[in-house]
Amino acid sequence: MKLSELKAGDRAEITAVDAEPVVRRRLMDMGLVRGTELEVLRFAPLGDPIEISCKGLLLTMRRNEAEGIMVNKLEPAEIRQAPALGLRKRHRFGKRS
Amino acid sequence: MSTKKTITVALAGNPNAGKSSLFNALTGSHQRVGNFPGVTIEKHEGYLDYRDYRITVVDLPGTYSLTPYSPEEIVTRRFIIDEKPDVVVNVVEGANLERNMMLTVQLMEMEVDLLVALNMMDEVEEKGIKINLDQLELLLGSHIVPISARNRQGLDDLLDHIVRVSDGRIEIKKNKMTFSAEVEKAIDKIAELLSQEPELDAAANHRWMAIKLLENDREIYSQVQKYPVWVKIELALQEAIRECDVLYGTDPEVLITEDRHAFVRGAMQECVRLPKAARASVSDYIDMVVLNRVLGLPVFLLVVWAIFQLTFTLGSPLMDALDYAFGLLSDTVAPHLPEGMVRSIFVDGVISGVGSVVVFLPNIVLLFMGLSFLEASGYMARAAFVIDKVMHRFGLHGKSFIPMITGFGCSIPAIMATRTLKSRSDRLATIMTIPFMSCGAKLPVYVLLAGAFFPPAVAANVMFGIYLLGILIGLWTAWLLKSTVLKSDSEPFVMELPPYRWPTVSSVIFQARVKAVMYLKKAGTLILGAVILIWAASNFPRSSKLDAELARETARIEASAVAPELKAAELEKLEARIGSGQLEYSIAGRSGKLLEPLIRPLGFDWRIGIALVTGLAAKEVVVSTLGTIYSIGQSADETSLSEILRSDPVFSQATALSLMVFVLLYIPCVAAVGVMKKEVGSWTPVLYYSVYALAVAWIASFITYRLALLWL
Repeated sequence: MKLSELKAGDRAEITAVDAEPVVRRRLMDMGLVRGTELEVLRFAPLGDPIEISCKGLLLTMRRNEAEGIMVNKLEPAEIRQAPALGLRKRHRFGKRS
Repeated sequence: MSTKKTITVALAGNPNAGKSSLFNALTGSHQRVGNFPGVTIEKHEGYLDYRDYRITVVDLPGTYSLTPYSPEEIVTRRFIIDEKPDVVVNVVEGANLERNMMLTVQLMEMEVDLLVALNMMDEVEEKGIKINLDQLELLLGSHIVPISARNRQGLDDLLDHIVRVSDGRIEIKKNKMTFSAEVEKAIDKIAELLSQEPELDAAANHRWMAIKLLENDREIYSQVQKYPVWVKIELALQEAIRECDVLYGTDPEVLITEDRHAFVRGAMQECVRLPKAARASVSDYIDMVVLNRVLGLPVFLLVVWAIFQLTFTLGSPLMDALDYAFGLLSDTVAPHLPEGMVRSIFVDGVISGVGSVVVFLPNIVLLFMGLSFLEASGYMARAAFVIDKVMHRFGLHGKSFIPMITGFGCSIPAIMATRTLKSRSDRLATIMTIPFMSCGAKLPVYVLLAGAFFPPAVAANVMFGIYLLGILIGLWTAWLLKSTVLKSDSEPFVMELPPYRWPTVSSVIFQARVKAVMYLKKAGTLILGAVILIWAASNFPRSSKLDAELARETARIEASAVAPELKAAELEKLEARIGSGQLEYSIAGRSGKLLEPLIRPLGFDWRIGIALVTGLAAKEVVVSTLGTIYSIGQSADETSLSEILRSDPVFSQATALSLMVFVLLYIPCVAAVGVMKKEVGSWTPVLYYSVYALAVAWIASFITYRLALLWL
């Protein structure tokens, strides 16, 4: 499914990044490559853009940019650690997804 | 001094990694701000003396990568390749190593003399993050110096390393990052082909060029394409693309990036230990409020309101004070100058011209203090996040909002504030939108006309309507531009929300100072010239007949036997009448008459034409010019002027509306035009814009006038 179809609080793993070159480049620069785990944090008050957390960073992107990211939604059972306080763990360096 | 050896150091790093703090901490007051050649990207350059060395520091723009997708990245690359700095210092944010190291790896690929400054070590320690520096140095092949630029810690150590790298006492290993086997094979093959081309040989690093070609880098493509060896290279590239697709299901560009990520991730695992329990940070709690679905917009509007108040409510007394000071200066200087032409040139031309440039400084300084506070604290990115949906509908970026709102105060700081926008097309579109946001100087015009021709209850609605029209036309303009000429190259909204930080006072002041100096130096001269030109146009040529009449009549009144108060009144009336005549005789007056056929359909006569011409100096001048033309002198108070306008046959409610619309929309004042030119970099877009603004103003006024004639 597409990243844009996830809901706030969902976790997912990236399976492909397929957007126009400029956007794809930027997404990859921000660490969004295949195999990366991310969590959708929230939507902006007006419903667009989206905020996600990934590798300890907070990232934003518009819905149409998020459409280019294909993900596998992770069911709660697949997540090793429950996020504290309903928030994500911020620092996940050194942990393989 | 001349015996000192010189070292050039370039600072490279991610946005928010603290490059600017390091730059300020190193160079202190020895700074110069310019532009990189050919682009409107600020180049900060400074120097310091350390032992026997004079170290020149260049602060490169913040980038995440070294691709040719953004002008910042191209500038950074070109500087490193063409200017060959002695040492490249990669500033990385300690608490955010993984993302920052992606750039480090790309700098390693360029095989520069690299030094890594591990910044924000205080934060790293506070968070309990452990970094094994020795191991990391081994992996990178470059020395790593832990620093904290904000607290000025580790700077001497860094300088010491810079000196030792530059004179070769520290060996940079220039480790090669190893990519996947198929990519390596392709790199070797292409590099080998590149080295066959004798003309290319001298130039560069073939391995790096090969990597870039595989990454589909159009800059390197165009460099290599002109050589005959390109035929073979193209074949090799195609083969690599095919192979990557078969084996990995993707193209080499993605594969190379993934390999870099894998390398960085591996390095992180080897060298970085994070504290066990990562708690939700203060930043997270702030975001829960600030980005909340319900509270997000109110908080955002509150912040924008605060910035606006800071800039204009706090700024206007300062503006008035400056205005007063220049008035005082004129009054002090005037008696010491010979009466007549010389005095007029100095007092009315030069002093008031300089005054009209300087008067914007308080706004600019205050606005940029506010903006750099927002930027450095981390809120700016969040503000863009909150409002982006609205702006994106018109093809703009979330970050366009604050400059646009600032436009309601004054276009000049607002246009300068568009620098927060990265992409050129977003900036251009925002800049072209700003003058339609009705600025403070246009308000006196509306107050005069709406007050004179409409009952108070209606006048407020009329003014509200004018502001609304400006907003609509501004947004329409943005949409038009972004769906036609500026269609390409929008800034993606993929960006980082940095953790909240307290900005340092020195960095806030530094930003404001840079903007103030830039405004005075770059735009100031242009504006001064234009203001003086308009002044000259409304004063020359002078009619000697009127001068003679003035002298004759003055003598007559002086000699007449009436009470002194009456005499003064008579004299004032006379001066006003002659002043009006002289204005009519001047170039501005004549151009007003020349314009009459063009503006007749809008309900304007030549006198309004003159006011529109002089109004180019500053919009509030429209009011004082009308005062002069209607012979009530410069000191015209509103009531008398509005009475005169009401009794004038040319003016009606329809004319008043039409004129308000025209003043709202036509070419902005010369100061705004000057700043616009400086910010877009050339005259062409400004000229197009001026023609567009005039056309829009004409059409809108025409429609307004005709509709008003029908209905009112």
